[in-house]
Amino acid sequence: MIELHDVTKAYRTKAGEHVVLDRLSCTFEDRVSVGILGVNGAGKSTLLRILGGAEQPDAGQIVRHGRVSWPIGFAGGFNSSLSGEENCRFAARIYGADIDEVVEFARGFAEVGHYFHMPVRTYSSGMRARLAFGLSMAIDFDTYLVDEVTAVGDARFQAKCKEAFAERRERSTVIIVSHQLRTIRQYADRYALLRRGKLHFFDDIDEVARIYKAAA
Amino acid sequence: MRDLAKGLPTQTRVVFALALRETRTRFGQHQLGYLWGLLEPAFFIGTFWAMFAAVDRTTPMGMDIVPFLATGVIPYSLTVKTADRVSLAVDANRAMLFYPHVQPLDLVFARGLLELTTYLVVFVVILGGYALATHAFVIDDVLQIFLGLSLAAVLGVAFGTVLCALTVMNNTVQRIKGPLMRPLFWTSGLFFAAAMIPLKYREYLLWNPILHCVEIVRDGWFPQYRAVDASPGYVLMWIVLLAFAGLTLERRVRTRVQLT
Repeated sequence: MIELHDVTKAYRTKAGEHVVLDRLSCTFEDRVSVGILGVNGAGKSTLLRILGGAEQPDAGQIVRHGRVSWPIGFAGGFNSSLSGEENCRFAARIYGADIDEVVEFARGFAEVGHYFHMPVRTYSSGMRARLAFGLSMAIDFDTYLVDEVTAVGDARFQAKCKEAFAERRERSTVIIVSHQLRTIRQYADRYALLRRGKLHFFDDIDEVARIYKAAA
Repeated sequence: MRDLAKGLPTQTRVVFALALRETRTRFGQHQLGYLWGLLEPAFFIGTFWAMFAAVDRTTPMGMDIVPFLATGVIPYSLTVKTADRVSLAVDANRAMLFYPHVQPLDLVFARGLLELTTYLVVFVVILGGYALATHAFVIDDVLQIFLGLSLAAVLGVAFGTVLCALTVMNNTVQRIKGPLMRPLFWTSGLFFAAAMIPLKYREYLLWNPILHCVEIVRDGWFPQYRAVDASPGYVLMWIVLLAFAGLTLERRVRTRVQLT
């Protein structure tokens, strides 16, 4: 469960302050997966980083219960001069997970072959994304924060990701952000729209779709 | 208090993992690996040894030349090199901040820890090796040596934290820090002992906290040398002041660290 109390975040730009989150208060309940829609630049990724704690809000408070993942999606957090395996070991270490288990799972999931022992800098973007995804699935989180999962891999790999998530849905919560209705529909129980610094929650996908299309 | 009890193991884990990773990226690239960390200060000492020999200069109070130089170079490097590396801790490890567990200060501590460990190994290998080779194995006070080296390292981390936060604010800090730190090279007692400097100049030299660290280490190594002017409390004062400034600045720039 994650609670937000009056969370505010703004970026200083040349054109003045750009408010991304405006006194946002809401609760993400346990085992209710939420899909957050927003146009490009609405602040989806910022919201995820703030939920995870990688970025600090300017004001307000965030209360996390249970283990929250880093924002999963395009490969971030990899040191490009280290191998895929070494990166996995590092992540396992900071999360206090069993190193060998994490490495084995990530290797099996990512399907990068012998590249697993080569520096991440030699990976294609698809391989990086697959490794990032495999690594995040290897560590048990109570809440998974997911950024635009559709971009990862081919159709077969996406099916695998969906399956992995379905397995975890029993005990974990997924908070996914995307600008595509289709992605949200596949993964979420509830929906939310991020607009002008506020989150609007919906239970009905058709209603979100209507408003989102009207706005976009 | 409960949060602290819960947070401390996590932070220890994170700092340790970062230090290991740092070891890998720093020393894992070269064939010589960790040996390189040893060769650099050894080369430093060798150069000065040659220079001392060339101008026929003698060391003060009959201190052996190699230990005399090593007890100067190593504490000095511990402060200056650590400050230098810590100042780039955030810049070089931005990708790691992607993990919410990893906060900028963890990067700072990890680099500090790695420097301290590396130079402790360097110290033991160079001076221990020398002592074994010359059969002159007389160490006055091991704990005092450790005190001096630790003070030097913590001083470097505190100074580096200030530089690191300033670097996040404005990158030109990296360009001016070299010339700014240059005077420390000449005033830290690398080629002299405080006792051989006339009192009226010594006073000013003793403003430099690194000189105190060097003196403390020398006092600990040489039975015949007493560092009457050195004061751990003075170094500690610098550490507290710099840490205060560094942590204040860190809070100030915390929200400004860009992840990518």
